[in-house]
Amino acid sequence: MIEIGLGHYLTLAAIIFTIGIIGIFLNRKNVIIILMSIELILLAANINLVSFSIYLQNIVGQVFTMFILTVAAAEAAVGLAIIVIYYKNKGSIDVEHIDSLKG
Amino acid sequence: MEYAIVLLPLLGSIVSGFFGKKLGAKVCQILTSSFVSISAILSLFIFYKVFVQDYSSNKLIFNWISSGDFHVNWSIQIDPLTSVMLVIVSLISSIIHFYSIGYMSHDPHKPRFMSYLSLFTFAMFTLVSADNFLQLYFGWEGVGLCSYLLIGFWFKKPSANAAAIKAFIVNRVGDFGFAIGIFLIFFFYGTVNYNEVFQQTPLLLQKEIIFLGIEFNLITLICLLLFFGAMGKSAQILLHTWLPDAMEGPTPVSALIHAATMVTAGVFLVVRCSPIFEYSQTALNVVAIVGMITAFFAASVALVQNDIKKIVAYSTCSQLGYMFFAAGVGAYHVAIFHLFTHAFFKALLFLGSGCVIHSFNEEQDIRSMGGVWKKIPYTYALMIIGTLALTGFPFLSGYYSKDAIIEFAYLKGNTVGYYAASVGIFTALLTAMYSWRLIFKTFHGKYNNKKNNLNSIQESPLIMLIPSCLLAIGAIITGILFKEMFIGFDTQFWNNSILFLQTIQHDHPPTWLLVLTPLIVIVTIPTAYYLFVKNERILKNFVLKNQLLYNFLINKWYFDDLYNFIFVEPIKKIGLFFWRRGDINTIDRYGPDGLSRLVKIISDKAVNFQSGYLYHYAFVMLIGFSILLTYLILY
Amino acid sequence: MLVHSLFFYFFSIIAVFSAIMVTISKNTIYSVFFLILVFVSVSILFIMIGAEFLGMIMLIVYVGAVAVLFLFVVMMLNIVEQVTKRSSRKGFINYISVGSIVGAIIFLELLVVIGGWKYKGTFIPLSDININVDLSNTHVLGNILYTDYIHLFQIAGMILLVAMIGAITLTFSKRENIKRQNYFEQIQREKTNAVSLVDVKSGKGVKLDD
Repeated sequence: MIEIGLGHYLTLAAIIFTIGIIGIFLNRKNVIIILMSIELILLAANINLVSFSIYLQNIVGQVFTMFILTVAAAEAAVGLAIIVIYYKNKGSIDVEHIDSLKG
Repeated sequence: MEYAIVLLPLLGSIVSGFFGKKLGAKVCQILTSSFVSISAILSLFIFYKVFVQDYSSNKLIFNWISSGDFHVNWSIQIDPLTSVMLVIVSLISSIIHFYSIGYMSHDPHKPRFMSYLSLFTFAMFTLVSADNFLQLYFGWEGVGLCSYLLIGFWFKKPSANAAAIKAFIVNRVGDFGFAIGIFLIFFFYGTVNYNEVFQQTPLLLQKEIIFLGIEFNLITLICLLLFFGAMGKSAQILLHTWLPDAMEGPTPVSALIHAATMVTAGVFLVVRCSPIFEYSQTALNVVAIVGMITAFFAASVALVQNDIKKIVAYSTCSQLGYMFFAAGVGAYHVAIFHLFTHAFFKALLFLGSGCVIHSFNEEQDIRSMGGVWKKIPYTYALMIIGTLALTGFPFLSGYYSKDAIIEFAYLKGNTVGYYAASVGIFTALLTAMYSWRLIFKTFHGKYNNKKNNLNSIQESPLIMLIPSCLLAIGAIITGILFKEMFIGFDTQFWNNSILFLQTIQHDHPPTWLLVLTPLIVIVTIPTAYYLFVKNERILKNFVLKNQLLYNFLINKWYFDDLYNFIFVEPIKKIGLFFWRRGDINTIDRYGPDGLSRLVKIISDKAVNFQSGYLYHYAFVMLIGFSILLTYLILY
Repeated sequence: MLVHSLFFYFFSIIAVFSAIMVTISKNTIYSVFFLILVFVSVSILFIMIGAEFLGMIMLIVYVGAVAVLFLFVVMMLNIVEQVTKRSSRKGFINYISVGSIVGAIIFLELLVVIGGWKYKGTFIPLSDININVDLSNTHVLGNILYTDYIHLFQIAGMILLVAMIGAITLTFSKRENIKRQNYFEQIQREKTNAVSLVDVKSGKGVKLDD
């Protein structure tokens, strides 16, 4: 346990990943929380990639992490724009009320 | 020419049945009547050829079944027996066709009626001209079907529907026995063609088989089964219940089917199979006994019936009993002769009743008639002729045939013969009684009809009277004309169409026998007149004193109630049980209904998946993902 | 090594704790703050492990842009205070219990993968790896990124462009009732459709079509 190895980093990533997943469907509040949980999931993937890249002395992992960073930012922007528009149309972003797909 | 005889009615039936609406009623009627009349003329011609030139032929129509050893053809066989039957059927049928043009003039469904009549004629022709049992069975079923269609012709009447079904089902019971008989024939003879069967019969005399646990002589068993079918078709005792109810159909139907032709198919079957029957004395005795009992039973019931058509129906039943016990004592040719004459006068009686009913404006109860003999003289005359022929008044046709039956029965010499003769004579007395009762109650006495005015009783139209006159001529002359040919001593007419193992003795029967029956018949006329017209009180007192006997007779010996109790009610209950519990509760519940309910339940539950909430969907995806992960890790 | 592990545990516990608080915090602004805390601690971990460029980039991009974006939206839509309705599903399973169970299952499976891999024969612990300290992380990254992965780099730029255009398209709404200037029309004005000579009768006015 004292010796920090690759496994510790991977475990940490696993924990954050699980928390992100649980956060998607366990929140009762609003949609922003869902987006934040998605960010957490992507973060967990980043941690995995970086720790593997350091472990294998291969820089490609970190290159890929940068791309994930890019995509995460883009996705957060678009997602928030959608939320803004949705709020303008519906008046609330309460998760309970978003059920137009019902049926 | 034979083809034309058999196939013309079929053509008429098809044309009238399918194109009736387009062609119109008049055309259909004329078309079918003329086709059947052509058949009648042709069959007379064939009869002449058979009589004069000993003509016989077997014309093939086509090969029906040819499978392994089993070969059956559609063919038309002409021999003396067939030619006689052809003449009877076609003549009566054509007369009836013309009669029904007049009788059914008010009916909206004329083409259908003519089509059924012609179809029946075709089926009857097929039956009598068959050269194998299978074609016979086809004709048998065909006439049963047409009987159903014609009895239930006015299908809007529930009683007509019920009567039609009753006729068909009781016939079916007989046909079941008949079919088993044919199966036995095929199984043991290897063929169902007449000539082969008849040739092989002497070789199988000693064969015994076990049927339903009892050991039978094969020939006896076959004969009994065939006779069972004949019992159904010819309304002998035990299978007779359909005949009175069949009077629900129109009167021409009753005349054609239930007097002259269909019910005689049973007699034809027994006579045709005489080569088999001759070898089984047991079966012949059974035939004779059944015939006797039927004759007596039907005559006794006819004494108290009040519906004019039912009286004539029971009379038919009784006369058929005569024919059967003639066959049972070995006098097949006499049976056919009586069949021949009976067709004429019974059809005449039915048509006359039809005229009476028509004149009385659809009234059928003889207690509501009376005193109209001056008003409808022609009908009266026709009915008198028919009744005289039926009862066996000397020198009319019935006298020759009926007395011949009684003589041959007596001359047979064994116990069955003597019994048959005595029953025959007693039944002749009863026959005379009820026939004259009918005449006197209908035409003499007080006018009892409440609905119609006496002045409104009109004679029937010519189109109905002329066919009846033709039949009357037949009823008068056929006896004298054909006596020598059919039953004369040492006649060669029948050749080998009927087999006689022992030559029938034809020494003269004792004179007292010859005189007895006509005497009874003649004496009955004034007696009946006295009892039914002049002094009805005697009978009324008799009835009051013997209420039990009267009830027994008027309920037709309680046969209908017995059958209802034994067969109909339990079967209805069983059917109801199977329908409710079996069909609805079990099959439907677990089948279509259950499936549809299950689908609905599942879909109701499945709707909840489409909640519209995003996180529900994410959750389901997650579950799927975890299952996939588990699978990948574990395997 | 002790310090290393101490730091690791400290920051990773902060990360996990903040991640949990992101999801269960009642105040949305607090959730965003906790998200920022997660990002910061994870970037510290990156720096610790030797990927300092990435750690810095994460701070700049994630915290500086994405999380701030979240804050913008939260404050703009005014959804700070959220009342959580205790709506329990009637007749359905309690989602928290099932969700936790499913999450636990996923977590365990991930651990199984890691554990199984750890006991392979070719496993080398991290501490045995020599980190090349000659070149900085940035240098190495730059070597690779602009040469071997140039195409992906450009495409990543395209992605960002598309996201920007998408966001603008979604939310841009032209206001109808303000007057704007259309320069092209102004420059293209011709004499024929700008000035016209009208003969005016005295006493009557001139009608101008607008």
